Amino acid sequence: MDVLGNILFGFSVALQPTNLFYCFVGTLIGTLVGVLPGLGPAAAIALLLPSTFHASPVSATIMLAGIYYGAMYGGSTTSILVNIPGEAASVVTCIDGHKMALKGRAGPALGIAAFGSFIAGTFGVIALTITGPLLSGVALRFGPPEYFSMMIVGITVLTYLSSGSMIKSLMMATVGLILGGVGMDAISGKYRFTYGMQILADGVGLVPVVMGLFGISEVLENLETEIKRDIVAAKFKNLFPNLQDWKDSAGPIIRGTFLGFFMGLVPGGGAIIASFASYAIEKKVAKHPEEFGHGAIQGVAGPEAANNSAASGNFIPLLTLGIPCNAVMAILLGALMIHGLQPGPLLMTKAPDLFWGTIVSMYIGNAMLLVLNLPLIGLWVKVLKVPYYLLYPLILLFCLIGAYSVGNNAGDVVLMLIFGIVGYLMKKFQFDGAPLILAVVLGPMLEEAFRQSLMLSKGDFTIFVSRPLSLSFLIVAFLLLVVPIITQRKKLSTLKE
Amino acid sequence: MSKADRISGIFWFVFAVIVSIESRRLGMGTLHRPGPGFLFFWAGILLAIMSLVILMRAWITQKEAGAGGFIFGGQNVWKIVMVLVSVFLYALLMEALGFIVVTLLLFLFLLGIVEKKGWVLTIFTSLAVTVAAYLIFETALQSQLPKGLLRFLRF
Repeated sequence: MDVLGNILFGFSVALQPTNLFYCFVGTLIGTLVGVLPGLGPAAAIALLLPSTFHASPVSATIMLAGIYYGAMYGGSTTSILVNIPGEAASVVTCIDGHKMALKGRAGPALGIAAFGSFIAGTFGVIALTITGPLLSGVALRFGPPEYFSMMIVGITVLTYLSSGSMIKSLMMATVGLILGGVGMDAISGKYRFTYGMQILADGVGLVPVVMGLFGISEVLENLETEIKRDIVAAKFKNLFPNLQDWKDSAGPIIRGTFLGFFMGLVPGGGAIIASFASYAIEKKVAKHPEEFGHGAIQGVAGPEAANNSAASGNFIPLLTLGIPCNAVMAILLGALMIHGLQPGPLLMTKAPDLFWGTIVSMYIGNAMLLVLNLPLIGLWVKVLKVPYYLLYPLILLFCLIGAYSVGNNAGDVVLMLIFGIVGYLMKKFQFDGAPLILAVVLGPMLEEAFRQSLMLSKGDFTIFVSRPLSLSFLIVAFLLLVVPIITQRKKLSTLKE
Repeated sequence: MSKADRISGIFWFVFAVIVSIESRRLGMGTLHRPGPGFLFFWAGILLAIMSLVILMRAWITQKEAGAGGFIFGGQNVWKIVMVLVSVFLYALLMEALGFIVVTLLLFLFLLGIVEKKGWVLTIFTSLAVTVAAYLIFETALQSQLPKGLLRFLRF
């Protein structure tokens, strides 16, 4: 494939004024969302999804993608200035970033976070350009059994990596699978679990579920414990890191970039783990590891680069295989399907404008973010000062309007609120929402692949293990399930001794 | 978290059993042609087993460490209840009263009564938010929000 030709084609799509506008709006909203604690990228994309229904699929995807990687940038600002991570992938940045701010080095911290993110984000996009077509080529040879096994791996990896108890995450994946099956069965035409309710006939809508689980529940949780904010009032004039800062950060940025990208590729891996892993590595290889936790610039540069390139890496399984590897990608997949597109190996040939346009828009978006983030930091700090008593009614209103406008139906709003309570209770009982969302999206695809495989083999279950690719996927999934049990046993037995 | 795990374990176990029974009713099909209930029956069984594991674990840790405290320790439970009631009412009344009226009422309630802010701030903010939201979602994004009571205005 002619990579250069594809990229030029992508530019011709991404540089259209409408698409540029959507890219700008997406990155701007993304940064805003990243800055605001209590509103993550998953919720924001769900909130804005209905408003993209009027746009073309390409513009809509460009904007939604912009929100995602924009949030990765924005999250670092709050971590450094307020010690509150705007979103989960910036938790690590708090450790040294905020310490730097307390020492009066908020400027260089913000600067290196932005530049590190830019370098890593751009590299991630270039790698996406090269690996995307290769992976698509491999995936074209997949049959239903391979798809089934690959989705199983996707779900297992996400449960393996998700926070908290693994068995609880697996339970949530199973619940999501069941929820995904609500509505009319495509093969037999029977209604499942609808109990005569019209609202459930088309299935449980992704938008109400996501908005409930991630938007409403977050508001409820934040209402319980008031968020404390102490913004660093120190003035920061010079945002540009000095030569020494650059020397210290070059290694971490390069390592973080590669690490993040590969973590992003793995289904279930992603920005959060990449940032933690990068921090751990930097601390290990550092000449002065004792500086970590007291304002080491390496502890900001590495994780920030890692979370951004992971965000780009995340797009690869989605765009080439049709497998979302985290909650945000699951929502994007849902969004593409609402727009009538089926992400997967055929996407590149069926909708090249979407595939290459979105990828190239990320180069442009990364540049926009650099321009946006540095001069506008003052504004973002002001946004942070919006009191929560004003913010939460607004978030609620967005959710209410968003859920309604999916299908102009008040039933969806009620459904969203119910899932809001469910999500709140899940947080209370320590169940993770991400595997559930992934399974809701993958559920119908998984079932279809499963039933098609069995029809193909005339009911012979060995079809899943007799094909080498499918078998290797299942072995990976099996190991992911078994290894934690064994290591836990060992830990327990050593504890008892 | 043993107490919380016991509650959630029982809940999911019951949920899983219901799902499995319902799936059997939907039709399991044959292995050659799995029916609409096939995957969900087994998903239900799997979920039931996992909730039993959670329950067992909670039971064991309880024996070792004693029961944990209750999970809703926050002081703002009342606030959460009020917010929930108001948004549910919003959803139920939005089609009858229309977007403008319910939004205004929601903000007056949340800011004035739940948050106990001054009336000037409450009324001013509520009006501003309602107008802005209407302009953004109805005029700019053409979301077709319900008109309700104000449908005679035709704007």
